[in-house]
Amino acid sequence: MNKITVRDCTFSYDKEHNAIDGISFDIEAGSYTTIIGHNGSGKSTIAKLLIDLLVKDSGSIQVDGLELNDENVYAIRSKIGIVFQNPDNQFIGATVADDIAFGLENHCVESAKMQGIIENFAAKVNMLDYLNSEPTRLSGGQKQRVAIAGVLVMNPEIIIFDEATSMLDPQGKAEINALIHEIHEQNHLTVLSITHDIEEVAGSDHVLVFDQGHKIMDGKPADILKRKQELIDLKLDIPYALKFVHALQDEGVNIDEVITMERLVDELCQLKSAS
Amino acid sequence: MSIEIRKLSHIYNEGTTFASVALDAIDLTIQEYCMTAIIGETGSGKSTLVQHLNALLLPSKGEIQINDRIIKADEKPKQLKALRKKVGLVFQFPEYQLFEETILKDVSFGPKNFGAGEEEAEQRAKEVLKVVGLDESYYEKSPFECSGGEKRRVAIAGILAMDPEILVLDEPTAGLDPKGARDMMQLFVDIQKNYHKTILLVTHDMEHVLSYCQHVVVLSHGKIKRDCDVKTFFSNVDDLKEMKINPPAVIRLREALLAKGFKLDPSLLDMEELAKQVAKEVKR
Repeated sequence: MNKITVRDCTFSYDKEHNAIDGISFDIEAGSYTTIIGHNGSGKSTIAKLLIDLLVKDSGSIQVDGLELNDENVYAIRSKIGIVFQNPDNQFIGATVADDIAFGLENHCVESAKMQGIIENFAAKVNMLDYLNSEPTRLSGGQKQRVAIAGVLVMNPEIIIFDEATSMLDPQGKAEINALIHEIHEQNHLTVLSITHDIEEVAGSDHVLVFDQGHKIMDGKPADILKRKQELIDLKLDIPYALKFVHALQDEGVNIDEVITMERLVDELCQLKSAS
Repeated sequence: MSIEIRKLSHIYNEGTTFASVALDAIDLTIQEYCMTAIIGETGSGKSTLVQHLNALLLPSKGEIQINDRIIKADEKPKQLKALRKKVGLVFQFPEYQLFEETILKDVSFGPKNFGAGEEEAEQRAKEVLKVVGLDESYYEKSPFECSGGEKRRVAIAGILAMDPEILVLDEPTAGLDPKGARDMMQLFVDIQKNYHKTILLVTHDMEHVLSYCQHVVVLSHGKIKRDCDVKTFFSNVDDLKEMKINPPAVIRLREALLAKGFKLDPSLLDMEELAKQVAKEVKR
């Protein structure tokens, strides 16, 4: 079943050239989809169109069977949560608890119930010990955890991550990536992640490749990531495992193209025991 | 251009209840004419350290010597302009600091500020724009019309225009796409080699440390934890693990294969070499 259906969507910032130029795609319910493309390819713009933060010029966007229009926009927004790139630009509350409460307050949740909900979601992102901490006392990774809790508390069906880990240090990045996978699996959420991290793409269900406002590839990572030269021409990367497979092939080894390190090690072990 | 750091401490909000020690009696010599990576977790003191190099921050204790210029604690330094011209600092997201209406004017600002005439500054700007890969079609463009990667090149050209001998780069590839990041790193390698600069690179990216740097300094809680060449740094995998550093892909793969009983040179750091040895193991 499709959770998101986009058809012939077009958007222009300057009314001269299209940042999104006739894009169509489907995102299946419960899937983990990644969107890649170089800087300026339209990845972040499409995320903003999906939540009507930017208004499309033409085309159609459907979320959960609802057409995105003036009538449905709030119903659709209540289904989608979004986490942005910069941890400092999305912290609204004076403390962690306040920040998580913000969305609840907007939805007029009784304050008696609120404390329990806040603690529950702070625990989910492993920030229970920091409820009364101020944002300046938190690391970037911790701030992103709070942002994720603030989104989860609204009980969304879809979460969009717009380069949510790109400003974090490696440890923060690994923590947030693990958390995204965990909430994806536990909450049966549809995840849409805009990323430059090719290893994250290799571990996703579905990938869309954007270039200059067009969607130019759409499919399973295992198929898409093998299109090495095309990806390099698009200023993108290929996974290390695949680079290594190509280096092995240059050495005359007959090995299948794999995109993750785990699969590569498995394949090599099999080849070794057969040799 | 040598940098010697002796017993350098920096304490924020010294003498108040909010006092926090960001650097704790650091001794460090920065190697000339090579690229040194400065790594460490968020809050380890990296940014505090590099801001001392052109006296944006002053020592609470200890001293820094840059060539024959010594900056000491408790001594109000005078005439920092000469020092600031020698040490160019490129902050994170330097494109936020662009302000002029054309790229040429933006890049000329630095040299003019350091006393160059209009024509000389413009000449200098044109030279460095070429170095960062922006041709004359960019001169009259507004810096704000450019893509993220181009903006960053303009900002870096602005620093290069002052002809610093030491270039300090704070996460210069953050937020760039993979090609943009690779090109940017190659640019620094070229600048370092062709113009004999000393480059300090603050980074979290171990692939960049392995591919582009010669030397590594690890900071942790305001102290120097490691100070060695890149090969030595990556040779002890347990040590990396203990410092919570995720090694580059080539090491992760090598270690995974060694654990599965592959016979490989445990010090390999090169993908082609690793592929050659693995090929021997798996071929009939």
